Amino acid sequence: MKRLRSWINPLCAGALLIALWYTVRRVCHVEAWLLPTPGEILKAAWQERSTLFAAVLITSRGAMLGFLMAVGGGFLLAMVLGFSRLIKESFYPYILIMQMMPVTILAPIFVLWLGQGLPSIVAITFMIGFFPIVANTTMGFISVDRNLQELFLMCKATRGQEIRYLRIPGAMPYFLTGMKIAGTLAPIGAIVGDFLAGSTINGQGGIGYMTLAYSSQLKTPALFATGFVACLLGFIFVGGVNLLHWYLLHKWHDSLVKKE
Amino acid sequence: MTNPPIVRIDNIGKRFGTGPLVLDGINLAVDRGEFISFIGPSGCGKSTLLRLIAGLTDASTGSLVVDGMTPVNAREEMFFVFQDANLLPWRRVAANVELPLLLRGDTAYHREARVREMLQIVGLEAAAGKYPWQLSGGMKMRVSIARALSVAPAILLLDEPFGALDEMTRDQLNEDLLRIRQRDAFTAFFVTHSVTEAVFLSTRIVVLSANPGRIAGVIPVPFAYPRTAELRETPEFLKLLAETSHALRAVRH
Repeated sequence: MKRLRSWINPLCAGALLIALWYTVRRVCHVEAWLLPTPGEILKAAWQERSTLFAAVLITSRGAMLGFLMAVGGGFLLAMVLGFSRLIKESFYPYILIMQMMPVTILAPIFVLWLGQGLPSIVAITFMIGFFPIVANTTMGFISVDRNLQELFLMCKATRGQEIRYLRIPGAMPYFLTGMKIAGTLAPIGAIVGDFLAGSTINGQGGIGYMTLAYSSQLKTPALFATGFVACLLGFIFVGGVNLLHWYLLHKWHDSLVKKE
Repeated sequence: MTNPPIVRIDNIGKRFGTGPLVLDGINLAVDRGEFISFIGPSGCGKSTLLRLIAGLTDASTGSLVVDGMTPVNAREEMFFVFQDANLLPWRRVAANVELPLLLRGDTAYHREARVREMLQIVGLEAAAGKYPWQLSGGMKMRVSIARALSVAPAILLLDEPFGALDEMTRDQLNEDLLRIRQRDAFTAFFVTHSVTEAVFLSTRIVVLSANPGRIAGVIPVPFAYPRTAELRETPEFLKLLAETSHALRAVRH
């Protein structure tokens, strides 16, 4: 019963929103190029399917590469920051400053350095996902249980053993939280990157580029369709990271174990 | 002719930073095979004393020798059982017991055999594959004890290990601890709030007074080992229990 309700309620709300959507079009006499109906959007999505599919592939590639680099680089930097107080105290303020830097300003700089296209898009995606991972994972490395640390002390564990058997597993939940945030941001980063630094040299642009193209051609239904496709891409990324989070933690972490 | 004491504490004083004295003028010599309980009001520094022996904190004055070495150098011969079970939540029961063996570099073959043996001793073979969150408080403590004993320490330091458990579980674990000690003759230092526990387990009870922590008295416990649950009902036991409670009340003013 409860399960059924969790499906029915959102479905009803969705139907209500769509009805409202059609009503606004009909009653307020809004034109199709200002507010296309869901039907028109679906039709446009079907017509543009090959272009949109190619755009999604291009954007996913940028998002994936940038995300993986942010995950790897973020983990390594967090390890350095977590284990050297001196380095953390010296460099952390600058990392915070870098985090405040808007992507719209970074984008032209990356274009200057790396040119239009994939390298710049990856760099922008990287910048957007990197800091949440660094901040969270560093916190994980620093906040080790003191009693467990003393246990390792009593066992005469080496520094390497402490890192491998205590610090890294202990930081895993924090690392994965950072990864969830980065996973949400990666497709957005890649789309913004494509929007600001994309290239169509190979004849095909990513999602960001397609939004530019469709809006200049006043193909509003296709523009909306692009938006929904971008949402879909976001869901795939977040879903993937959530799956990894569940896989690594569900056996032991408080947030996921089932307690009666 | 007599063996030197395994732990010799000479005129130890301890303060944290510029704070007040936590321990003052502590003198104690403990022979191999003894079971020493520290009991006293909160703030008497009994846990600090245990941590000093473990080398987890340094004495401000005086000297402490463990088997002819500094506490830190004698760590290989000691193991600490922490107040809460202090298990690694991401390792299964068997992997938790295995950890000290892994860290000191034992072979996988030896580790596996030893873990099985230890789990059998604490009666947890069936729980080997479980994670700590799946265990009750008493079971977690058993795992913690199995882990401590896996390296066959000469000295076992226990910091109120059963303080959070209900009385029945605590009695059971007390009996188990003595049964294990019949087998692996370790020297034990045991911090507790429970007079019954101290009398049941110890060869000597050290009563500490607070602010600063000083030794107010040492009560020898004459009962022979092996001790069983029935001991708790004998008049001699109850008499010593009353005496110890009295000594404890005297330092509480």
